Amino acid sequence: MTTRSNQKLTPQNLHRTILPNGITLLVVENQAADLVACRCFLKLAGSRVESSEQAGISNLVASVITKGTRNLSALEIAETVESIGASVGADASSDYFLLSLKTISQDFGEILKLLGEMIRFPTFPASEIDLEQKLAIQSIRSQQEQPFNVAFGQLREMIYQDHPYGISVLGTEASVGSLTQEDILNYHQSYFRPDNLIISISGRITTETATSLVGEVFGDWQIPNNILTVQSLPELNSIPTEKVIIQDTQQSIVMLGYLGAEVKSLDYPVLKLISTYLGNGLSSRLFVELREKRGLAYDISAFYPTRLQAAPFITYMGTAPENTEIAIAGLKEEVQRLTKEKLSDSELKGAKNKILGQYALGKQTNSEIAQIFGWYESLGLGIEFDSCFQNAISGVTSEMILEVANHYLANPYISIVKPE
Amino acid sequence: MQQISQHLKSADLPATVFNLSNGLTLIHQYLPATPVVVSDIWVKAGASAETDSWSGMAHFLEHMIFKGSPKVGVGEFDWVVENRGGIANAATSHDYAHFYLTTAANHLRETLPYLADILLHATIPDDEFIRERDVVLEEIRSSYDDPDWLAFQSLCQTLYNSHPYKRSILGEVDLLMNHTPNMMRCFHRTHYQPENTTVVLVGGIEQESALSLVNDVFGEFSVPSECPPNIVNAEPPLIGIRREELHLSRLEHGRLLMGWVCPGAEHLPTAIGLDLLSVILAGGRCSRLIQELREEKQLVLDICSDFSLQKDSSLFTINVWLEEKNMDTVEKAVCDRLYQLQTTPITETELNRAKKLLLNDYIFSTETPGQLAGIYGYYNTISNVGQCLLYPQLINNISRTELQRIANLYLSPERYATVRLKPN
Repeated sequence: MTTRSNQKLTPQNLHRTILPNGITLLVVENQAADLVACRCFLKLAGSRVESSEQAGISNLVASVITKGTRNLSALEIAETVESIGASVGADASSDYFLLSLKTISQDFGEILKLLGEMIRFPTFPASEIDLEQKLAIQSIRSQQEQPFNVAFGQLREMIYQDHPYGISVLGTEASVGSLTQEDILNYHQSYFRPDNLIISISGRITTETATSLVGEVFGDWQIPNNILTVQSLPELNSIPTEKVIIQDTQQSIVMLGYLGAEVKSLDYPVLKLISTYLGNGLSSRLFVELREKRGLAYDISAFYPTRLQAAPFITYMGTAPENTEIAIAGLKEEVQRLTKEKLSDSELKGAKNKILGQYALGKQTNSEIAQIFGWYESLGLGIEFDSCFQNAISGVTSEMILEVANHYLANPYISIVKPE
Repeated sequence: MQQISQHLKSADLPATVFNLSNGLTLIHQYLPATPVVVSDIWVKAGASAETDSWSGMAHFLEHMIFKGSPKVGVGEFDWVVENRGGIANAATSHDYAHFYLTTAANHLRETLPYLADILLHATIPDDEFIRERDVVLEEIRSSYDDPDWLAFQSLCQTLYNSHPYKRSILGEVDLLMNHTPNMMRCFHRTHYQPENTTVVLVGGIEQESALSLVNDVFGEFSVPSECPPNIVNAEPPLIGIRREELHLSRLEHGRLLMGWVCPGAEHLPTAIGLDLLSVILAGGRCSRLIQELREEKQLVLDICSDFSLQKDSSLFTINVWLEEKNMDTVEKAVCDRLYQLQTTPITETELNRAKKLLLNDYIFSTETPGQLAGIYGYYNTISNVGQCLLYPQLINNISRTELQRIANLYLSPERYATVRLKPN
């Protein structure tokens, strides 16, 4: 269950090469639709390389990098992209920096050239930085409008404190407000280099064509002499606390968080399976017990993102303010149950089928395919993680779940947003 | 097995349309290399089918479908699907409710019968009705915490006087409290009938299997009831500017929404013209409003324009996120640009750019079986499925003068509804 034209992504249609200047190139040949998707990952970049004083710099770089190159103004770049009907974007994430493009097949070469100019020769004009900085600060403020974001922001801070994962990828008003053009140029200078770049392509294109286009655009890019280093990050320890924010809302948001495992940990697939069991889909444990049987919530779920460092494991729901305490107890109990009781064989089997089925359904479009392999590469897991992960899930036992739940999910951090 | 009364396949349509003898429409497309099948069931039983006092029924019923039938227990369908690695869910709009299921092709025969049974023979148990109503109330409560949702509801209320498009799909709390399981059963038996239903199957299933499966499981609908019909009156045209203003606490910046009532799905060429106009106004950084108001004058945090095709009358909107002090200036600037669209033809470059963007979007949004099934079902429910194929051709054919004419007819700077959201 992968793509429209391929039953499986076999080594025959996924090609991985390291170019002489250190760029990792992944190409998936997929004839299914007349388009090509490309994801460029800068692996050492994103929030995890930001100091707290400069939190949000990756995000600001993402906003301004499409707004000027050595040859083109912001408007000229937009005109080139839009007259071809392509989509081009840049995003900062916790663990990496990403540039994406999607075009119909015949336009790919031209847009890749433009993307190359943005990656290698951006100018970061002062006027564009001013504008995007102002808008970024407004975005940070507008997070306050969504109770879910408020609760999540508080929880993230409680769990991570000084660690970069403790701050939104947008940064804070103070940190973003202090950023200068020099900071941005330094960021680009430090992290945008060929040995830090992974280019992942999927679509109607041959490996030969893709390799030669990438060579034309990036081939003469030299690795700088200095070695790329990143800050060492504070150690993380779980010291659960509880915090409440009072806001004039209709619903209470109840969110319980735990410090989970990093993606390279052996416990990662086990926690992934637990979060699927608890929170994924209409037959998940939380949905059935707390929504279907008790009508406590409309939105109720669990999530556990894939991160290079210890990721948060979260359960939450939105509920009527008078049910706040019942909701906390309900979520707590459901997680605690996993520290005491083993899952039955049919529960375990069901959760595995669900996660593996949905994992396969997540690789249908060219963008999804380019994303997932580029991302695994950028996290240092390699493209083989695709199959390793699925094997690891198959091998999880109910004993492992009990043990991992006891290790990570014994005591929650609790973050509440509710009206007075 | 039922007889097939009609069998349509146009030269261009990659899908085949069958009208089954009980009145049900089946749209099928075989994608040989796809290991997945998407089943998407569209029913003309959206909020527009409700009378004012039955408001919220269609959406609440969509929730209750999952509570099972005499043969299928509460939550059993969800378990059967997800336990096999599939995904199912549903959505309700004004013009439809639809239920979709994605599974590996070899699990289709074990899952689709469950979906068909709960759709055709929903029990709507009394106790489950009371419990699920709390879930819907939570859904409403969470919408009230979303300023953009509130702004959009207010715009619809202001723009439409008589059409059900004015109402929230979720309904109102006090009305929901008065709805009964019997009313809902009546609504279900009235509307969930074969002539209102389109079944779409796209993916790794061949035609013969698809037909026989659908004939097997969608053969026996419930005996029809007759709940109060909703007579939809023609919406009178606006004769001026209608204004509404909301003051909210917890608002970090203001919203300015503007809306125009446009022709429904029966005028597809006009709809496509309006799609192009929304791109010319605010689709991408080169577009007129983004370039002027976000990039140059820096009066807005963001601005977008959207054309949503609806059955009876479509909706053209402009949404602006901005500081309160800029609202007058921005509203006037938008009206100036609309006036300009009416008086001066757009440039050939702009037209080509907008066309390219929509054509490529169309290619980008027909990549997966799920996307294809959604497009077929949607068009067949609000119009007919053949229309979606005309889309690229109609885009290519449209001229600058035609766009000017459409702007003149529908996007008046003197007749629209507008809502402002301001911090308390």
